[in-house]
Amino acid sequence: MMCDDIAKLIPLYYYGELTPDEEDQVEEHTHECTTCSSAMEQQRTLAAALDRRVHEVPSYLLEDCRADLMAAVHGGAARAARPRPSQGPWSLFLEALAHSFGNFNQLQKPIGAVALIAIGFFGARLTMGVRTPGGTVNENSVFGAEDPYHTVRSVQPDPEHAGAVVITFDETRRRQTRGSMEDPNIQQLLVAAAHEDNAAVRVESVDILKNQVRSSEVRDALVNLLAQDPNDGVRLKAMEGLRGMANDPSVRRVLLHVVRADGNTAVKMQAIDILSANRDDAFVGLMQALVQREPNDSVRLKMEKALREANASAGIF
Amino acid sequence: MSQDSAGAVGTRLTPHVDGLIRAAQAGDQDAFEQLVRTYDQSVLRLAMNLLRSPEDARDVYQEAFLRVYRNLHSFRFDCSFHTWLYRIVTNICLDQLRKRKVRKEEPSMVETSEGPLDRMDAFEEESAHADPERSFWNRELKQRIETALDDLTPRERMVFELRHYQGLRLRNIGEMLGTTEEAAKNCLFRATQKMRSVLGDFT
Repeated sequence: MMCDDIAKLIPLYYYGELTPDEEDQVEEHTHECTTCSSAMEQQRTLAAALDRRVHEVPSYLLEDCRADLMAAVHGGAARAARPRPSQGPWSLFLEALAHSFGNFNQLQKPIGAVALIAIGFFGARLTMGVRTPGGTVNENSVFGAEDPYHTVRSVQPDPEHAGAVVITFDETRRRQTRGSMEDPNIQQLLVAAAHEDNAAVRVESVDILKNQVRSSEVRDALVNLLAQDPNDGVRLKAMEGLRGMANDPSVRRVLLHVVRADGNTAVKMQAIDILSANRDDAFVGLMQALVQREPNDSVRLKMEKALREANASAGIF
Repeated sequence: MSQDSAGAVGTRLTPHVDGLIRAAQAGDQDAFEQLVRTYDQSVLRLAMNLLRSPEDARDVYQEAFLRVYRNLHSFRFDCSFHTWLYRIVTNICLDQLRKRKVRKEEPSMVETSEGPLDRMDAFEEESAHADPERSFWNRELKQRIETALDDLTPRERMVFELRHYQGLRLRNIGEMLGTTEEAAKNCLFRATQKMRSVLGDFT
C-alpha cells in the first residue's frame, strides 16, 4: 500500500474500525515509514486533545428534562397509535363521552331534591352520535342528534341554588339540561368547559370544578390544565383544587413541573407552598438545585424558607 | 476515548428493554418512563456535546422522546431500540446543527458563564496558578477545537461525535444515519483531516 492509502486508514485504525488484515498492513507500513508513523502520532494527539473537550450535562438538567417530558406525557401528549375522535380542546370531552356516557340519557330524567344546574347549551363543536366502546350510539344524548356544534360562553355559580352551577353555551338550537354537580355527566360538561378557547369560561369552570377533585376525571383535567393552560388564573385555580391532593403522584409531578418551569411568580410560589407542606426528598432536592439560580427575590426567599423548614442547606449546589 | 456504553447497555438489557417496549406500546406509561430512563442520559449527553447549550439539549430531549412516545407503536423490533431511538435523536440534532450553519452562529455562546460546564475550564483554572503560559495555550487550544468542530459539516460532526465521544461503531452509525458503513468511514476520515488541518500546530 502507498502512503496515501495508509493515510486514509489511520483514523479508522485508531478507532478500531479496520479488518485484522488491514490493521496488519497499516502497522507494517507505519513501522517502516516515518511520514505515516508521525501521521499516526498526530492522530493520537488529536484524539487526546479532543478527549479533554467534554461539555458536561449540568446536574439539574436531566431531572428537569425527565419531569418536563413526563408532564407532557401525563398531560395528554397525543399518541398516533390511538387517534382521538376529533382535534382540539373538545377531544377530551369526546373521549370522556365515549368512555363513560353510555348512560348519558339519564341526564334527561327529572332530578328532585338535589341542587339543580340549568344548562343552556348552544352551538357545539361537539359531534353527536359518539360511539361508546360497546359500539352503541348515544342518539338520545342531551345535545340532540342533529346538533353537531356547541360553544360554551359562560359558567357561573347558580345564584339561586347553593352548590349549583349555570353553564351557557351557543348552539344553533338552545337546549337545557339539569343535574347535580355530583353527577359525573355534569362534571364532564364542566371539564369540557374548562377546555374552552375562552379563558374566562375556563376560569369559571375550573373555579367550580376545583371543589370536585374526588372525581378522578376532574382531577386529571385539573392536572392537565395546571401543566398546560396558558392562562395564569386558570392554572392558579386548578392548583387550588389540587392543593389537598399533593400526595397523589400525578399531582406531585405536575406541581414539581410548575416549580421548575412555570413563568408566573404567583403560580410558582403557590406550588412551592403546597409542596413545602407535603415535602419529600425530590422537592427538597429540587429546591436546592433551583434556589441559587432563581432570579425572582420573592420566589427565592420562599425557596430558602422551604429549605430551612426542611432543615436542608441552601448552599449545596 | 468514550466507551461503547450506550451500545453495550442496549445489548445487555435487550430482554428487559423488549418487555418495556411491549408494555409501553400497550399504553403502560410507567414502562415508557423506565424505557426513557434507560437511554436518556446518553441522549442528553449527545445533545449537550453537539449543541453546547442546556436549552437546546433540553429541546432535543423533549422532542426526541415525545416522538418516541407518539411513534412507539410503529417500532417493529427489526433493529435494536437503541438504533431506532438514535435515528430520531440524530435527525433532530442534525436539523439543529443545520439551522446553526444557516445562521452562521458564532461559537461565542461557549464562552458564556451561564453556559455549559466544561472540563477544560476547570483544567485551565488549576493550571493558571501553576503556569500562565500553559493556561493560555489551553485556552487557545480549546478555542481552536471548538472552531475545528464548527467547521465540520453537520453530518461529519455527527459521525465524529458518535464515533469519538459516544463510542459507537461505524456500521451502527451508518444504520442510524440511513447510510452505509463505507459512507460513515469517509465522513470520519474527512472530519479527522479537517480537524488535523485546523489543530495542526497544537496537536
